[in-house]
Amino acid sequence: MVFRNGQKVEIVRRSADESWEPYMDAFIGLHGIITDPDAAKNDPDALVEVSLDEKGTHRFPQDCLRVLP
Amino acid sequence: MANNGCPVHNTLSFLRDAIEGGAFKIPKTRRIALEVMELVEDLARGRGGPEHVPALESCVDELVANASDGEAGQAAQKVQISLLQFREVFESHAETHTCAGGDCVRLTPAPCQLACPAGIDIPSYLTLVGQGRYAEAVKVIREDNPFPWVCGLVCTHPCEFMCVRARMDSSVAIMDLKGVAAEKAMSARQYRNPEPAPDNGHKVCVIGAGPGGLTAAYYLALKGYRVTIIEALPVSGGMMMVGIPRYRLPREVIDREVSMIEALGVEFRYNTCLGKDITLEDLRGEGFEAYLLAIGAHGSYKLMIPGEEDYLQVFPAVDFLRRVSLGDHRPPGRRVAVIGGGNVAIDAARTCLRLGSEEVTILYRRTHDQMPAHHEEVVEAEEEGIHFSFLTIPKKIVGENGSVKAIVCVRAALSPPDEAGRQRPVPLEGSEYEMAVDTVIPAIGQEIDGRGLEGFQSMQWTRRNTIHVNTISMETDQEGVFAVGDAVTGPATVVEAIAGGKKAAIAIHRYFEKLPQPQFPPAPTRRRRMNFFQVPAGLKNDLKRVQMPFLNNDRRRITFQQVRLGLDDTQAANEARRCLRCDVCIRCGRCVEICRDKMGIGALELGYMNFDHPGLTDFKITAERCIACGACAANCPTGAMQMTDQEGFRVLSLCGTELNRLELEYCRTCGAVIGPARYHDYVTQRIREISPQLDDARMCLDCARKSTGRVQAEIEPPENI
Repeated sequence: MVFRNGQKVEIVRRSADESWEPYMDAFIGLHGIITDPDAAKNDPDALVEVSLDEKGTHRFPQDCLRVLP
Repeated sequence: MANNGCPVHNTLSFLRDAIEGGAFKIPKTRRIALEVMELVEDLARGRGGPEHVPALESCVDELVANASDGEAGQAAQKVQISLLQFREVFESHAETHTCAGGDCVRLTPAPCQLACPAGIDIPSYLTLVGQGRYAEAVKVIREDNPFPWVCGLVCTHPCEFMCVRARMDSSVAIMDLKGVAAEKAMSARQYRNPEPAPDNGHKVCVIGAGPGGLTAAYYLALKGYRVTIIEALPVSGGMMMVGIPRYRLPREVIDREVSMIEALGVEFRYNTCLGKDITLEDLRGEGFEAYLLAIGAHGSYKLMIPGEEDYLQVFPAVDFLRRVSLGDHRPPGRRVAVIGGGNVAIDAARTCLRLGSEEVTILYRRTHDQMPAHHEEVVEAEEEGIHFSFLTIPKKIVGENGSVKAIVCVRAALSPPDEAGRQRPVPLEGSEYEMAVDTVIPAIGQEIDGRGLEGFQSMQWTRRNTIHVNTISMETDQEGVFAVGDAVTGPATVVEAIAGGKKAAIAIHRYFEKLPQPQFPPAPTRRRRMNFFQVPAGLKNDLKRVQMPFLNNDRRRITFQQVRLGLDDTQAANEARRCLRCDVCIRCGRCVEICRDKMGIGALELGYMNFDHPGLTDFKITAERCIACGACAANCPTGAMQMTDQEGFRVLSLCGTELNRLELEYCRTCGAVIGPARYHDYVTQRIREISPQLDDARMCLDCARKSTGRVQAEIEPPENI
């Protein structure tokens, strides 16, 4: 999935990536908007910046995100 | 008591239930319990102060002592345990008037503030900008971000993505208004530093004068630390200075804001590269007790194609932009190919054009809509005459007599989505072609150059080649060493680096104070609750997002003058009026439900309240339907919806937006206010069956009762009333 600015996404699962931190478990199930996708080369491994509804802006590994219709 | 959510809110709910449920039967314990509840309620409503938590503790101790057994004793102990366990949260409610859990509805930050990585109190400064109080606005911004002017020009503004107004039409131009505030305050010589704390004697060394390092230096200097910044370049600002071209961010803007940090006593050592000009041992010898690594990501990924290393006319975009920023304004070539689809590629291409290159083409291997660059930047580049070649993969750079002659490319098509939904550019066989160019600038990503950091031996690196930190406190794996910015996140945004710098400053202070580091990212702090603007519904509804005036295109193609020309006072004030004040209205939708379901009126069309499925919003329609009954205002948990009587009119307003204004009527018998005619008609209609005598008589309830009571004595009220 190539993420783009402004897309609505959901944190669907915990990621096994090393950048996933325990406090992020509380974000699973939340919806948000992509505010800074991988800004250079559409790298599937890049961390994507997401503004979560009511829970602030954080960077997540892409495998925990799902684009909402 | 509930275990999840905000402990202050949970304690308040628990106490209220216990008191109402009769847990405190003895008058004395009930009185103390009520006092405890009052103090907790103050905290939950943002009325707490520094005395509240100690007062609460002593009150709770008294409650436990007096209600030692039975139901009252158990309830008192639960409150005491909650206070002991979550003292920090109670204190934070008192000090910051913010509820991180979002349960204390009066203290919940707005979505824009929550979205801002630096947590700036956006609704407050927008209100101040709208009133022309620019210096105060800058003061509010700098409580969380020492670069209001820089961020007013180049922030990626995640706040605007979360702006609730966007669900109605388009987001408020938050970034532009921040720029207006900083520019006007600076121009009026009212852009001032807060008073720093007295010198505490501790020395902190910051390595790198980018946004992260400078931010940390600012907040540490305010706390009384002696901060020294080591910078490899001859200028400060990091990527803000050498990565962002001057037409987007003039050098003077950075210089002025950095000079404010310097004025706090921060020492700058330029042209000093760690590991080359100075060693870690040297720094230790100077008595530094903590280090903050903010070295940025100044290295570049390579294309890994033949010819890349063979010609001087092939150079990475970040090197090129740095060279230009430091004063080298020679044209890079006549025909330039920039490779990549991100913001750096766009910046490099637009810079080439300004330096005199005749033809600049961006080669990108995917499609226009998949470009990671910001949409506005792409549009501006197109306007200036940059060419784009999409679905193009560079294969080889060819040259003649030691100079670049052309770049060989192949056309590509996007593959069908794979399991993860990702489409890949696939080269099309036989589509190879040669593009005549004399300069090639790869801009396919940056990486961290960790040379010079070898002395920090316990520090760990991630598999992405970034410094491993605890992202809550920005601590590395080596004690006393912290890291922020692109060196931690990989190439990211200015505002993220600023946020990291602020977190690091807090963590370094805690490190010196020997306090435990926080376990959860800091919640944005609501600084205050500003009074509302009074705006008519029609104006609020119809004000469109302000259009930023741009420099004319000819000048954009030949000079580095700032492209975005800024807003004037009127434009700024009108834009600020578009703000829906989501710091007060929490979009719970209770007003809409009450009006529609309980009153059967449906006068509130506030579709923006739904995050996932926003519906129609029309502030103007309320004036057509609303009867001014006040049910919405009475049920609003935050005071966003208000109904007041003003000079003969009943006015309904939502965060200052005047939704309805109806003339008041008075009782013909006693002269008391009986509300507007529409409300009176509604009530008369509903009670017509039980009070047929009243008809259209304009009487208050007391007088109506007196005049009809004798007649109505025998009538049963209908069941549906």
